[in-house]
Amino acid sequence: MSAEQRLTLRRRLFAFLVAGVGGTAAAAISFAMTVYEAANPKAVPLVAAGQPIDTGRWIITLHDARIGSTPPTGIKPSAPKKLLMVEFDLDNRSASTSNVFLRLFTIDPPVANLPPPTFYLARDKWIASGLHPDMPERMIAAWEWPSAVSVPRQLRLKITSQIYKSRDNLYGAPGWFDRDPVAIVALEVAPEAAGAVP
Amino acid sequence: MSSIVRSFVAVAITAAALYGLQHTTPGYGEITSPIAVAGKLGKRVAANAFTIGVANVHLARTVTTKRVGRTQTFTSSGVWVLVEGAAEARSESLTLMSAQWLGPNGVRYALSQRLSSVPGILPSERLEPGLPRPVLMAFEIPEGQVSGGTLLIARTAWSSLEEEVRIEMTDVRPDDIKPALVLARSEGAVPWTLRSE
Repeated sequence: MSAEQRLTLRRRLFAFLVAGVGGTAAAAISFAMTVYEAANPKAVPLVAAGQPIDTGRWIITLHDARIGSTPPTGIKPSAPKKLLMVEFDLDNRSASTSNVFLRLFTIDPPVANLPPPTFYLARDKWIASGLHPDMPERMIAAWEWPSAVSVPRQLRLKITSQIYKSRDNLYGAPGWFDRDPVAIVALEVAPEAAGAVP
Repeated sequence: MSSIVRSFVAVAITAAALYGLQHTTPGYGEITSPIAVAGKLGKRVAANAFTIGVANVHLARTVTTKRVGRTQTFTSSGVWVLVEGAAEARSESLTLMSAQWLGPNGVRYALSQRLSSVPGILPSERLEPGLPRPVLMAFEIPEGQVSGGTLLIARTAWSSLEEEVRIEMTDVRPDDIKPALVLARSEGAVPWTLRSE
């Protein structure tokens, strides 16, 4: 092996070493940051009722919670039911009509065997369909509460967020993607008014 | 020395070229977007699978529907846009499930589901080849999106590389908004009647 050949080999080895050490350091730092963030989760801010919350795709303002036996349609169900109803304003901030508000908020901590809520449009007193952009509406979410479980006096709702990606990581297609919760709202649950007229 | 300069220049040019390619490559949404078929208000537009023509556009603050035994008034924070037209399939029976109002700011308003059960509404009409049917479309849009809108009609809202008729809604102005419109069922050739109140 000539001296020149040996020099090229040493240079190559050096380049490989630098790249290897750099790559390993980057992977180690990234891993350590993920572990640290998972161990020290950021506290979700507590937002008061009546304050608008920007979730990315929606702006939601929660107003109040109450217990009732008549759904917002005003039609009394044939079998008596306990309904937990939450009133809120919802504004679609995306560029198209959407009805994906089902997973916008969840009860925290989760209640076992609780069916998902039904959403009503206050304007129609009927089941809500898609919400149009820039046209905020008053809505009511109604959970059919299981009779075996007592209703909490204070309802904690965890509001999730979504972000828009013009190119997702899989197809490069545009879409909305779930992100971490942005707020927790605690609402006092008003008991059912005695002798309330439906 | 010159070789180092040369390699730096080469790396810079490559980086610039890659940056340019990365930012001009059309996304998945763009390369699979619907194929536009342009049309005009008042004219029949022929796509490959269907033809559609828009005759009248009515604007109103409230819409009252009259059905047997039930009258219901629908209010809105914006404006009701009722579009009357006729549609026909060309080679096989189909249903046009999607109609959208594309506002001048690029926001898309889908058909209002609140009026989805009135007679003649587009997604409930099965179109047959050779049999033109009157169809009705109902939108709820903010007042600022009325003029300069475009009507987009397709078989479905999510299909990729399907045809989409785009009708420019010229001469639709917010000063024609009527306070109230009554939409009633009719037994004639057109299954609804519209009158202002």
